[in-house]
Amino acid sequence: MNKLRRYFIVLIPFAFLYGCIQTNILDKVGLTTLVGYDVGTEHKMATTAVIREVNPEFQSKVEVLTTENDTSKGNRMEANRKLSKKIMVGQMRVVLFGEDLAKDDLRYYIDTNLENASVNNGIYMAVVEGKTAPLLKYEYKNIEDIGQHIFRLIEQNVKQEYMISATLHQIAHDYYSVGKDLAMPIIKRDGELVELSGVALFKGGKMVSSLSARDSFYVRIVRDTFKVGLYEAVLEKEDVSSQILQKSTNKITIAFDAIHSKREMKLVNAATPEFDLDINIRSRVLEVYPDINLGDPKSVKILEKAIEKKMSKEIVRIIAHSQEVESDIFGFGEKYRSVVRHSNLTKDKWHEMYKNMKVNVKVKFVILRDGVFE
Amino acid sequence: MKFKLPFNKKQPLLEKETPKEKESLVRVALTTDHFIQSIKSATNNPADLIIKSIPPNITLIYIDNLVDDQTLNNDIIANLLNNPQETPEAIEMTISIPEIVKSNLLQETVESLVNGSVVIHIDGYPQVLIGNIATRESRALSAPENESQVIGTQVGFNESLTTNISLIRRYIVSPNLCNEKLKIGTRTNTTISLLYMNGIANDQMVNTLRQRITDLYIDELLDSAVLAEMIDDNSLSVFPQMLLTERPDRFCDAILDGKMGVIVDGSSMAIICPQAFTEFFRSQEDQNLRWQIATFLRLLRLAAFFLSVYLTPFYVAAVTFHYEVIPQAFLVPLSESRALVPFPPIFEALLLEFIIELLREAGARLPTKIGQTIGIVGGIVIGTAAVQAGITSNILLIIIALSALASFTSPSYMMGNVIRLIRFPIIILAGFWGFYGIMLAFCFILIHLLRQTSLGAPYMSPFYPPRMKDMRDSLIRMPIPLTAKRTSLTRPKDKNKFEPEPVKPEKS
Repeated sequence: MNKLRRYFIVLIPFAFLYGCIQTNILDKVGLTTLVGYDVGTEHKMATTAVIREVNPEFQSKVEVLTTENDTSKGNRMEANRKLSKKIMVGQMRVVLFGEDLAKDDLRYYIDTNLENASVNNGIYMAVVEGKTAPLLKYEYKNIEDIGQHIFRLIEQNVKQEYMISATLHQIAHDYYSVGKDLAMPIIKRDGELVELSGVALFKGGKMVSSLSARDSFYVRIVRDTFKVGLYEAVLEKEDVSSQILQKSTNKITIAFDAIHSKREMKLVNAATPEFDLDINIRSRVLEVYPDINLGDPKSVKILEKAIEKKMSKEIVRIIAHSQEVESDIFGFGEKYRSVVRHSNLTKDKWHEMYKNMKVNVKVKFVILRDGVFE
Repeated sequence: MKFKLPFNKKQPLLEKETPKEKESLVRVALTTDHFIQSIKSATNNPADLIIKSIPPNITLIYIDNLVDDQTLNNDIIANLLNNPQETPEAIEMTISIPEIVKSNLLQETVESLVNGSVVIHIDGYPQVLIGNIATRESRALSAPENESQVIGTQVGFNESLTTNISLIRRYIVSPNLCNEKLKIGTRTNTTISLLYMNGIANDQMVNTLRQRITDLYIDELLDSAVLAEMIDDNSLSVFPQMLLTERPDRFCDAILDGKMGVIVDGSSMAIICPQAFTEFFRSQEDQNLRWQIATFLRLLRLAAFFLSVYLTPFYVAAVTFHYEVIPQAFLVPLSESRALVPFPPIFEALLLEFIIELLREAGARLPTKIGQTIGIVGGIVIGTAAVQAGITSNILLIIIALSALASFTSPSYMMGNVIRLIRFPIIILAGFWGFYGIMLAFCFILIHLLRQTSLGAPYMSPFYPPRMKDMRDSLIRMPIPLTAKRTSLTRPKDKNKFEPEPVKPEKS
């Protein structure tokens, strides 16, 4: 029993001391769901935070606060002075960057968020056309919580594979690995709605260019496998042989969803460097306008050829564009580094090589199904 | 270090036993007057002691209502009146009752007297005839209320030892069913029966159990639950290490598995041991259902156990410390339902758990006629009103109700009570230390369970030590051909229940 008493004497202080740790009771904290960073005045950081507060009086409301300070923690303290609840970032889902800031350098922001243990690595990152503050502060008619709305918007498009995925984890990986550059979605306000308008290309931590939202399909196809996405391609007259083209039209619009895509990257010449990029897509045609008789295997073959041609053209164009701005968002450098021994590749070295890289794009497109309506 | 309660220790009080020895050697008096006097003083002259004289020299002594009046009148008094005899031998021949013995010891006479025997003394002989004609007044056999099941026998034990044993003998018609009679309790002299199957049950275990029972030095034993607590391996643990059941079919199933059973006279619950932790979550009904359904039900009960123990602490910890883990879709409803509550989550949870426990206890204590009112009070008045008054949040109410519901699924009421209790320290730990506290509690409970034994057999078997064959009939129930082996928990002498047949004979 004496031994037992000694145990208790040790245990009780533990209970009391550990009882002193700080609590974050859910209804006592203001939950930051989205943070937007902008360039502020006098080299300061301007932070716009979307904070959800729950009050007994008015159920719940969303507060959008802009503060300017030297550090993000300083910004948080300043925001704390304006709110009745402690601000916490554990429920943050999206980080937005203003265009000016993105063109400057994102290194600091990636680091701070990565180092913060309470920030999830699955948060989405995106660039805003213009500044973030006006986008977030605008009073949308039908959007109650802009933070959640943007999160769902990005999440939904990423899941549907319409847009490239840029979580903090992926961004950090791309940023710190030699031979790959970042890419993030671009969003902008379109009237009463928020829209994903394109893909931002980065060189190191700097945004150097952008691609249109339509091109994000090709970016995805080259970057990784594709499973559920829907895409609409416009075949120009010169792509399609005249056999299946009706006289009156000079283009065919075709919508398909890829059932499965596979890409294979092969380094064929390390000196140039030169890559073979083979892309296999098996898909299902959903709509063709104007109508083409898909019951005829010949015309299906012709259509497949036409799409292959069109796609390789687009992919070549996009890769060429990324080479021009020296942003290897596809990860050719990673492949190079993994194949060539003792390459001692650095970011700068690869960017130099990337400019002169040659890619032979080969697309194989197979129409597996063409609808059941025939 | 193992904790033991003092009464578990062997306490042979020798100096007390010596006068008892002497007392039991006192002989029956020769003359009737002396004999009556000695009986009266030995039994403290109770009001229901009846002394009847039958000419020429016979005296009957018995205690009213303990003996069967009809037998006494028809078989003893009528016979003695019709054929007056004068020697004990002759009287023994005359009386037509099955259990009649001669004795010349006073102690034995008095003991049988209070047990419901009639004592026949013949003037001038230093011995008496003791005829056992005790009434067996007991409740009629009824359905087991605490362990009801849909499919299966609907008969439960009652409070009579002889009835209970006859029930078991109906199930197990075998001469190998051993029945040892033991008496414990210096004042109550309670009869208990130790039952096991000869040829299956492990001798060492039987000896251990017998020794544990005979080593007890207590003055009273009124129920088997008390006995179970005293002969447990670790009486200080909240977890029961022996099963109490009121189902004869479950009892027999355990006996046939090589376990030992103890039945206490006057108690409607039988003790089964050794018992592993997972076996407390078995119901006898599992044997009567198809194996797929039985497996589902067993897993459901296990899930209910975890849900019941950890759901409320999880809520408390998540809302108090770890708001990060709350899914985004759940964030708004959860925080809105908590917005009106003025208490911290731990207090809120403890309050509601306390209310639920109060309702449960009140429901158990109230007569069934008023019991329904409790449902209304609990469900409508406290549930809805507490939320509307802003004392608790809706979501917590659902969680608490769910965990209360889950704790009722345990087939053993004893284990259900444990689930009910261990929730509270975990809630407090969760409220102080968050998920660390929950993990601490989990580890503590796990380590505690791993250290327990039941009659020397590992409590967490078949998981620790891992016994793959036994897992076929633990959390899941495989088809009967695959469960031909007896559980090695009991170390049975005969390992196979039957010769296992291949499941698909044509393939092998």
